[in-house]
Amino acid sequence: MIGFILRRLAELVPVVLIASIGIWGIIYAVPGGPVGALVGENATPEQIQAVTAELGLDRPILVQYVDWLRHALGGDLGTSLQSREPVAKLIGQCLPATVQLGIAAILIGLLLGLPVAVASAMAPGSWLDRALAGWSALALGVPTFWLGILFILFFAVQLQWLPSASSYVPFWQSPGAMIANVVLPASTLGIYVSGIFARFLRASLLGELRADYVRTARSKGLRERDIVTRHVLRNAMLPFITVVGLMMASFIGGALVTEAVFTYPGMGRLMIQAIATRDYPLLQGSILVVLVIYVVINLAVDVLYVWVDPRLDYGA
Amino acid sequence: MTPSADSRAPVLSVRGLTVGFPAGRRVVQAVRGIDLDIFANEMVCVVGESGSGKSVAALAICGLLPPNAVLGGAIRLGGTDIAHADAATLRRIRGRDVGFIFQDPATTLNPVMMVGRQIAEAPVVHGQLAPAQAGARAVALLREVDIPDPEGRVRQYPHQFSGGMRQRAVIAMAMAGRPRLIIADEPTTALDVTVQAQVLAMLNRRRVETGAAVLLITHDLGVVAEVADRVMVTYAGRIVESGPVDAIFRNPRHPYTRALLRSMPRLDGDDARLDPIPGQPPTPAALPSGCAFRPRCAMSRARCAQDDPALRATGVDHHAACHFLEEIETLPAPAATVRAPDQGGAAPLLDVRDLRVHFALRSGPLRRRTGVVRAVDGVSLTLRAGETLGLVGESGCGKTTTGRAIMGLIRATGGEVRVDGQEITGFSRTRLRAVRRHMQYVFQDPYSSLNPVRTVAEIVAEPLRIHGLFDEMGGMARVAELFDRVGLSRSFMNRYPREFSGGQKQRIGIARALALQPRVLILDEPVAALDVSIQAQIVNLLQDLQQQLGLAYLFIAHDLAVVRHISDRVAVMYLGRVVEEAEKDTLYTRPAHPYTQSLLSAAPIADPALRARPGRIVLTGEIPNPASPPRGCTFHPRCFRASEICRTEAPRFAGGVACHHPGAA
Amino acid sequence: MKRILNGLPRHKGACLGIAFLGVLALAACFAGLLVDPLAQDLASALEGPSAEHWFGTDELGRDILARVIYGARTSLLTAAGAVAIAAALGIPIGLIAGYFGGWRDTVLMRFVDVLLALPGILFAMALIAVLGRSQATALVAVGLTGIPGFARVTRAETLALRTREFVLAVEAFGGSSTYSIFRTVLPNAWSPILVQTVVLAAVAILLEAALAFLGVGIPPPTPSWGEMLRTGKTYLYDSPSYAVLPGLVLTLTILSLDAIGRALASILRESEGLHDAPLAEAGAP
Repeated sequence: MIGFILRRLAELVPVVLIASIGIWGIIYAVPGGPVGALVGENATPEQIQAVTAELGLDRPILVQYVDWLRHALGGDLGTSLQSREPVAKLIGQCLPATVQLGIAAILIGLLLGLPVAVASAMAPGSWLDRALAGWSALALGVPTFWLGILFILFFAVQLQWLPSASSYVPFWQSPGAMIANVVLPASTLGIYVSGIFARFLRASLLGELRADYVRTARSKGLRERDIVTRHVLRNAMLPFITVVGLMMASFIGGALVTEAVFTYPGMGRLMIQAIATRDYPLLQGSILVVLVIYVVINLAVDVLYVWVDPRLDYGA
Repeated sequence: MTPSADSRAPVLSVRGLTVGFPAGRRVVQAVRGIDLDIFANEMVCVVGESGSGKSVAALAICGLLPPNAVLGGAIRLGGTDIAHADAATLRRIRGRDVGFIFQDPATTLNPVMMVGRQIAEAPVVHGQLAPAQAGARAVALLREVDIPDPEGRVRQYPHQFSGGMRQRAVIAMAMAGRPRLIIADEPTTALDVTVQAQVLAMLNRRRVETGAAVLLITHDLGVVAEVADRVMVTYAGRIVESGPVDAIFRNPRHPYTRALLRSMPRLDGDDARLDPIPGQPPTPAALPSGCAFRPRCAMSRARCAQDDPALRATGVDHHAACHFLEEIETLPAPAATVRAPDQGGAAPLLDVRDLRVHFALRSGPLRRRTGVVRAVDGVSLTLRAGETLGLVGESGCGKTTTGRAIMGLIRATGGEVRVDGQEITGFSRTRLRAVRRHMQYVFQDPYSSLNPVRTVAEIVAEPLRIHGLFDEMGGMARVAELFDRVGLSRSFMNRYPREFSGGQKQRIGIARALALQPRVLILDEPVAALDVSIQAQIVNLLQDLQQQLGLAYLFIAHDLAVVRHISDRVAVMYLGRVVEEAEKDTLYTRPAHPYTQSLLSAAPIADPALRARPGRIVLTGEIPNPASPPRGCTFHPRCFRASEICRTEAPRFAGGVACHHPGAA
Repeated sequence: MKRILNGLPRHKGACLGIAFLGVLALAACFAGLLVDPLAQDLASALEGPSAEHWFGTDELGRDILARVIYGARTSLLTAAGAVAIAAALGIPIGLIAGYFGGWRDTVLMRFVDVLLALPGILFAMALIAVLGRSQATALVAVGLTGIPGFARVTRAETLALRTREFVLAVEAFGGSSTYSIFRTVLPNAWSPILVQTVVLAAVAILLEAALAFLGVGIPPPTPSWGEMLRTGKTYLYDSPSYAVLPGLVLTLTILSLDAIGRALASILRESEGLHDAPLAEAGAP
């Protein structure tokens, strides 16, 4: 298993490296280059030269990249142009908030989505199946930022039960306050996630229910319920896990937008702020961190896949 | 059916079984009234072509049909009325009283559950076995079906089993609850002939040991002749003839049974031209009026179009459904044999020397080469004008790869291919094009080899267009002429492939291969996907075309009887090499290589009298993984004649055989 | 095509979706004749729905319905352009990678993996951060994020077709790779590609709106649904309908495309299963 993880990591390294070149290159692609971004448009040539030397931009381009990458790997993501604080520190403040939101959303998504998928796959074509299919279409189709607005309108503006802007309260500090703050954004995102789970798990359950081994199980006199829980579910996880892995990108995208709706202090807000203020080191750092998270999630998905499917011999 | 001579109560008794499926506003009858009794310790075979309703009837017997099926008639299993049983009763019966063996062992088992757990699952669920004893019982069951190392195997997953072992495991699973009836639906169709012989022998042994009744469903008359006690022949959802196995094969009374037996090439047969049944088997949605066999029957009369004949007694326990049972002897005998003149001595059209195709096995992040599969490892063949060379072997022996490498569809690793004296190995795609005019390929699967989005006329014209010869060779008139050649009506030319049956599609594939007027055809299992009665039509067509056009055929197949019928010479492949090559009659009557001998010995012959033929060889084991073939002679682990030298030294091909100890069996 | 037209009436959701999109597209085409999205009337700012302003007015007293209709123009054009870019690059990538395999496959799919490694919205934001906000940037950014979808779907279908004997047959009688790819593979691969096109159109509209909602999309005063949601959200207490109604139109658009996509997938799957005779021996459930 460890060998398999190492091999997958080795395959992911080139992807991350190429992407990191892109991220690093952002600052060079900006009109005016990195110096222009730093000193502004009205700088004197002397200022420009000073900054160029200070940033080491007069060195060969490859040296600059390797240098940047070395620092990034060591946890040094540069200094924010706006707040003059280390980028790593700013990210360190926002990342836990996003992770907490993401976990809460996935829990809600599983809780809502899995029963829906199993219930509709057990009776395809029934009124229940059609109703549940309608639910997953809504969950997937309603934009998170509009759903979030509706939630705010109803629970914060009309009923005044919950705050319209959510702040980050770590769970271990005050579970009650944490729930009050995270329930709206997490539900917004969780409903979307439940749509992914419901639609794709239903599809793969239905596919598996047509398989020959299900007929075998029926010929052995098993109950339908036992057939699903003992035989089908594990097989259906395989195509499903693949889809979930592919949908992770849009999940992260959804998280960033949801944060913006609830003015939640996470990575999404940090990045929008970075774009708005043209704070390139901050933007580079945030994108790099999100990329690494995404790669780690994908690795976890791969490991899960191998764990479920005995046919994949990860030792070889 | 009238009660059998056996006075005991039948295990299974079916009366007037009908099964329909709703299609639009009407119900299409797939099974139209079947009566059937099976007694303990009896092997009953239901034989029929695709669409004859045999599998649907089997599923109906255990209530395994999809919920939309419309069931009629009475099914009694032991004392229980299946047709009216509630779901809980049906489940109990399925696990305890009936065991089911399905066709494809690759998909029958759950891929993510350990084999042992699957085998013992049913008795545990039905309370026959304490969960704590499941493991030990699974081991015992695997041992009973001759799986070596059962203690280790129960903890493995299906993908770690070979095909034959998987089917053994399925049989063990079907027998786990000690059922009184076992229904086996094409249990050996997906297996190679040497493995089929092992599995059939084991199934029969287990039947005798347990005294269970077995209902075996198959399309293969050879299998029927090997194992059946009684036979039921189905056609278009009904039983048209039933009786003891000897009576069915020696004295068939129904015109369909008789025609079916005549349309089959025989392993021990002569070269008499096959006598195919004209037309296609009917689909349940479009049955002819009266007797369903009427449009294809040589002796049909006006009455046949009006009444559907009922089964009538025609001998001891022998029944047939025909109005003119008494006249059946007057059917015309098959036409005399005609063979192309031997053109031996001419320079070979196709000359293959030491052909090798090796695939690299790669793995790891850097895709390093970690091994080599020698799919084809030094094959030499020659083929002269007007001649047919049969290339036979079991799955994975490299026969298809050989054909494709000769055609240039797979790049050869080594060796030479000469077409008409011209060396073509290593040619670029463009240079190969000119050579390809002389050599064409007919694919196995008629369902997959025709482009579904083009009309069949365009498909046949495609080679002409690619070579820029469409106008030069006569345009659509040439296409129409090709349709005539392969016996298809010109009125079909503007239809799409999905509108044709398998046999018609294969005719289209042949017409396409003939478009450029080639001199060599490589035929890759051209009849394997077709029903028996259609196989004969295509075989006859190929023989006619060879005679008219002087074509040379490389005929690749696994069916020994078909190969014998069509070939002049035959080469036998095992693990990428030709192990024996000889004139057809020599090879089939006096095989020298132990593998050829066991292959011929294992192949079922459609004659129950030959069932107990002396000296039958049943090979142990299965074909090894081509990625790690055995050292020395690759056949030695399974060979009954292997000696020390076979383990260390690969035999050279000499005198038509590659063996250290060639000779009579 | 006929199969689709015959199959559609059974999918009522998709029919409704087509009707809705049809009305929306017509309104967007003839928007200039119908309404003026820029006419300000500060006296009647932030009003709720009324007979005069069906969707109410915004903070500058502009008619929200008019802006929604112009927003449809922006959305649909961006989606069309983005899908065109994604298809023009993604389909050839998938065809070449799937047909030839080997190093071409490795190189092309690595490139696609890199595109896929960044969540689409992040990729678009980074691109906009570099190139600045404009309609063209938004269109290119959204289009580029769609490449992996087309490439993967086309490659998977090509790989499956590559092993089919009718593709081998073309090679056997000497057809060139180009002939094989464009005359044999592509005509048989169009149905999943068509479904992907519809799916991507929905994703593109959603992505464009999300970018505008985050304030990095097409710059004002061009009317855009996302931008309206963004501004409307700040007036939730004064005029709830401001954010709700444009969002509703956006949601209906996405749901329509989703319903059409699912109906297409279902129809094409069914009609492709036709050659498996429904009454084949085993009587498949």
